[in-house]
Amino acid sequence: MAASKAYKTKFPVARIKKIMQADEDVGKVAQVTPIVISRALELFMQQIILASTAKTRERGAKRVTVGHMKQAVMETEMFDFLEEIVGRVGDVGGEGSPKEEE
Amino acid sequence: MADSMDDELSLPKATVQKVISEILPKDLAFAKETRDLLIECCVEFIHLISSEANEICEKEAKKTIAAEHVVSALEQLGFGEYVEEIQKVAQEHKEQQKSREKKQSKFDQSGKTPEELQAMQEELLRKARERYETNAELQ
Repeated sequence: MAASKAYKTKFPVARIKKIMQADEDVGKVAQVTPIVISRALELFMQQIILASTAKTRERGAKRVTVGHMKQAVMETEMFDFLEEIVGRVGDVGGEGSPKEEE
Repeated sequence: MADSMDDELSLPKATVQKVISEILPKDLAFAKETRDLLIECCVEFIHLISSEANEICEKEAKKTIAAEHVVSALEQLGFGEYVEEIQKVAQEHKEQQKSREKKQSKFDQSGKTPEELQAMQEELLRKARERYETNAELQ
């Protein structure tokens, strides 16, 4: 089989398309587009997870908390669009929810 | 009200968990809460890229969001380092499409409908059966 197995779409392509089209302005989408976005999403996840774990290590912790992720987002320019989402979360070492310390 | 509709449009937790396990260093754990926050960030990322790609698509007076629009959107939004990978994926998809189309066109080029092809096959089988039975008699 000529098909490359090196990369298989991990995220459900149909779901990605639905999420895209939840935006009323978004119209037709080529077949390849959700596949390409799935790959971009993987790279994005990798980046944000690793940025978060850097914070986890800085604090000598073993568990990546929302506080670590929030800090990583605040310190990375390309994650500016996430500020509102992480803004809802408590800060590390601040009040936060009891679960954070688990 | 609009919010509850959006909640359904999330990413499957199991899939996200799998990707996390692949990326996370072995000595660290990911809190469940953190995973859920990550999912929200992912959905937001999709919205961000889609919205930008859509604008770029419209500026070009095109109707369908294509891979190139996503590439431009990533560059505009500061995710230029993803572009090389994205282009690989787009290229692979193009090649898979080509090989699928080649197989399909071979079928189409026979110039016959599936019914005609089936009739031809049955005729061949019938003739083969006759030959077999004739041979059997002669023995």
